[in-house]
Amino acid sequence: MSAHEPGLRDLVSEAVASGVWSEEFGTVKLRVPRSEWVESHRALKGRLPFFSWLSAIDWAADVAVGDAPEPGEETAEEIEERFEVLSRISDVSSGDGLVLSTDLPKDDARLDSLTAVYAGADWHEREAAEMFGIDFVGHPNLAALYLPDGFEGHPLRKSYALLSRQVKPWPGDVDVEAAGGDET
Amino acid sequence: MSGGGAGVLHSEARVSVELQTPEMTLNIGPQHPSTHGVLRLVAKVDGERIESVEPVVGYMHRGYEKLAEVRTYPQLTALLNRIDWTAGLANEVPFVVAAERLMGVEVPERAQYIRVVLTEMFRISAHLLFLSSYPLELGASTPLMYALREREHVLDLIEGVTGGRFHPNFNRIGGVKPAAGGGKGQRSVAQDLPRGFLEQTRRAMAKVFEVCDDMEALVRGNEIFQQRTKGVGIIPVEKALEYGVSGPNLRGSGVRFDLRKVEDYLPYDRFDFEVPIGENGDCFDRYVVRLEEIRQAVRIVTQAVDGIPAGPLRARVPRVIKVPRGECYVRAENPKGEMGYYLVSMGGRGPYRVKIRSASFSNISVLPWLLEGALVPDIIAILGSLDFVLGDVDR
Amino acid sequence: MSIDGFWVLLGVKLLAMAVVIIGGSLVIIYAELKVGAHMQNRVGPYYAGVRWGWAQPLADALKFLQKEDLVPADADTSVFKAAPMVSLMGTMAVFVVVPFSPKLIVRDLDLGIFYALAAASLGTLAMLMAGWSSANKFSLMGGLRAAAQLIAYELPMVLAVIGVVVQAGTLSMVQIVDAQVALGLPYVIGGQAVGFLIFVTASLAELSRTPFDMPIAESELVSGYMTEYSGIRFTMFYLAEYAGLFAAAAIASTLFLGGYYLPGLDAEVWGPFVLLAKVGVLAFLMIWFRWTWPRLREDQLQSFAWRWLVPLSLANIAATAVLKVVL
Repeated sequence: MSAHEPGLRDLVSEAVASGVWSEEFGTVKLRVPRSEWVESHRALKGRLPFFSWLSAIDWAADVAVGDAPEPGEETAEEIEERFEVLSRISDVSSGDGLVLSTDLPKDDARLDSLTAVYAGADWHEREAAEMFGIDFVGHPNLAALYLPDGFEGHPLRKSYALLSRQVKPWPGDVDVEAAGGDET
Repeated sequence: MSGGGAGVLHSEARVSVELQTPEMTLNIGPQHPSTHGVLRLVAKVDGERIESVEPVVGYMHRGYEKLAEVRTYPQLTALLNRIDWTAGLANEVPFVVAAERLMGVEVPERAQYIRVVLTEMFRISAHLLFLSSYPLELGASTPLMYALREREHVLDLIEGVTGGRFHPNFNRIGGVKPAAGGGKGQRSVAQDLPRGFLEQTRRAMAKVFEVCDDMEALVRGNEIFQQRTKGVGIIPVEKALEYGVSGPNLRGSGVRFDLRKVEDYLPYDRFDFEVPIGENGDCFDRYVVRLEEIRQAVRIVTQAVDGIPAGPLRARVPRVIKVPRGECYVRAENPKGEMGYYLVSMGGRGPYRVKIRSASFSNISVLPWLLEGALVPDIIAILGSLDFVLGDVDR
Repeated sequence: MSIDGFWVLLGVKLLAMAVVIIGGSLVIIYAELKVGAHMQNRVGPYYAGVRWGWAQPLADALKFLQKEDLVPADADTSVFKAAPMVSLMGTMAVFVVVPFSPKLIVRDLDLGIFYALAAASLGTLAMLMAGWSSANKFSLMGGLRAAAQLIAYELPMVLAVIGVVVQAGTLSMVQIVDAQVALGLPYVIGGQAVGFLIFVTASLAELSRTPFDMPIAESELVSGYMTEYSGIRFTMFYLAEYAGLFAAAAIASTLFLGGYYLPGLDAEVWGPFVLLAKVGVLAFLMIWFRWTWPRLREDQLQSFAWRWLVPLSLANIAATAVLKVVL
C-alpha cells in the first residue's frame, strides 16, 4: 500500500483515543478494545466511508503449520488463544485505509454488530458468524450465508479438521519446482 | 356523499374495491439462463413489481480460506486463479505480492511488466465477455458473436504465454514462470515470451479497438438498449460505499477511484491511462464504463509491450518458500472490482490465515436494497450490469 | 352434384393451403437460421442437406415428432393439450382469404380482411391457455405478459387496416388489390405509408418477435408460456409462430404492397411468385429486426402501443377519410 496521507494518523488518534496504531509491510492496523468496536467505526466513518470487508482469525496455539521449526529457527512463541475480528475501511479519494481489529475470548465470542454504522457489514458478519461461531449482537438476520441447512460446526476454526486432511495427512515436501536459475 | 332531494333513493354506498392480488414468491435460479452462475434470488413479486428480494448464495462455496490453511504458497497460486475465473492471473497477483512483501523480495522489472500485460489482457477478456453477454440477456444476440470473436485473439495470446486460457497459474513468488518451462535441460533454451508475441499483441489490440467501435454503434447507440438501461438500477454513491461496491460499478456512480492509480502492487504509474466514470450510476453508465475501460486497457498493454525491459523473470528465492511472520493486506484493481488478500503468516511453508476479499461478494450484497421496487425484467438488466461471477461471490 | 363438387374443390383448396403454409413456414424458418447466422458471422445449418443445411427445418420437425409426449402432473390437461392446436388453427385460418392471384384464393370472402384479423386473434387465446394450464409460475407470467401485449397491439393493427379499407372502400382482399391497381400505386406509397409502418410494427408484436418478445423472453422466463411444451405440441407452437409471420407478411403485402400485382406482369400467371417475393422481402426485414435489437420491457411496450401507435393510427384514419372525400 502506498504511503498514507500524513493527516490520517493524527485524525485516528484524535477520533479513537483507545486505538493502538501499528504499521508494517504497508498495512496500517488499529487495535481497539472490544467495547469500543462500534464507536471507533462510527468515528472514522466520515473519513473512511468505504467498507471493504470484515472477518476473523482463530488464534490457536496448538496448530502445526508446515514443518516443525528447525534448530536455530525462530520458534513461534505462545499464541494467546482468542478470536481476532478484523475489519477494513478505506476511502475512495487517496486510497487510505486501515484494518481495525479487536480480540474476543473464545468462551465469550460476542461482538456488537456494525450494521448500524455500515450497512454492508451485513453479509460479512453472517459469514464470520457461521465460519467461526461468533455472535454479532444486533445483527438483523444472522442466518447462515454459505453453509447448507443442517451443517454442523464452524469450518474456519482451527479445531475443525478438513475431511481430506483426516484421510490423508499434510503432504509435506511436495513443491519441487526449481526457481529460475538457483538451487539455494 | 349527500343524498338527493326528498324521497329520492340515496345510497351512501362507498364502494371501495381493493383488488386483492396475492403476493407470489418467485424463485429465480439457481439454474437460470441469466444469473451468471448458481445464484438464487427468492423474490416476492406482486404482478411485475418486486416487493423484496433475498439472494441465496453458497452454491459454489469451495472453502478457499480453509484450503489456504493446508496448502503451501506455490500450491495456492494454482488454486487462486479459480476464484474469479474470468480474470485469471489478476486473482493471483495480490496474493503473491503480499507474500513477496512479507519476504522482502524485490520482483524484477521484466516480470512486473509481464504481470501488467497479462492482467490487462485478462481485464479486456473479462470486459468483452460482459459486453457480449449483457445485450444477450436483454434480447440482442448479435453482439455476443462479435465480441467473443475478438476475445479469442486475446485468449490465444494468453495461451501462448502461459499455456492456459483461463487458469494460467503463471505467477510465482518472486516473479513469473519461465514460459518454456523450468528444469535443468531447458534452461539454455528457455524463452520467456513466445516468439512473435509483441507483434501479435499489437495486432490483437488493434482488433479489440475495432470491436469496441462496433459495440458503440450496435449497442450503446441503440435506442431500445438505452431505454432498458438508462435510469434503471441506480446505485447512489453513499450506498455504494457502505456496501463496499467497487470497480466499474462504483465508477459508474461517478466516483473516480481506481486502485491502479493509488496502489503500487504493479508499476502502473509508468503507464498513461485514464479512469472513465459514469454520471448517474445506472446500468447504462456501468456498461459504458466497462466499454471505455477496454480501450484504456488496450493503451496500457500497448505501452507495456513496447517498453518491456530485459532481465530475469524471477527473483532469487529459496527453493522451499517460507514466508516470515507478519500480516499484510494487498489489494488490486481486478476487472470486477477490488480484490484483496489479508495474509497472516506465522513463518512456515503455508499461510496461517488468508482472508480473501472478493469484489463480487460486496457488489451483490447491495442487491436486496437495489432490487426493491424494481420490475421483474429489470432484475435481469440490473444483475447483468453488476457483472459478478459466482466463483468470486462464493469463493 | 354441384354440392359434391363444391366440397371436393374446397377439400383440394384446403389441402393446397396446408401444404403452402407448412412449406412456406419451413422456408422462412430456414431463412431465419441462415440469415441470422450470416449476420452474426456464423454459418448456420450446415450438415442437414449437403452443406447448405436446407433440410434442417425438416430434420427438426421429424425429430420433434418422435419425442415423448410430456404433460406436467399439475397441468390442466385438456386446456394444456388444446392450446397449441388453437394457436395453429388460428394462424392457418387467416390464409383462407390470402389472394395468391385473382383466381387463386381459397374463398374471396366479402368480409375478407375482417375475417383475417378475427382469425389472427385466436392466437392470444392460445397463449393464455398455455400459460395458465402449465402449472408453472414462469409460464404464467409469460402468458400474462403475452395477453397484455397482444391485446395492446391488436388495436393499432386493426386501426391501420381500417385506413386501407377506407381508402379502398371494400373489405374483400381481391378488391383491395384491384383498388391499388386502379390507383396505379401500392398503398405504401399511395397514401398509407404511416399505416404500413404501424401495421408491420403491430404485427411484430402480435407475433411476439423481438423487439417485442417479452412473452418468450428467453433469458428471463426460459420460454415463457411455451416452457412446459415439448415434442409435437412444441412443434405446433413453433410452426404457428412462423406461419404467423408468413400470414402477417402476406396480409401486409396484399394490403400495402399491391399483393400479386406487379405492373408489366400478368397477374394470373405470375401472381403467386410476385406475392411470395414481396412476402420474402418483408420476412427478411422482420428477421433482420430480430437479430439486431434487444427487447423492450413490458411497460415500455405498452406505453409505445397506447401512447404512440393508437393515436397515430387514429390520426391516419382521420387523414385518410378526409382525403378520400376531398380527392
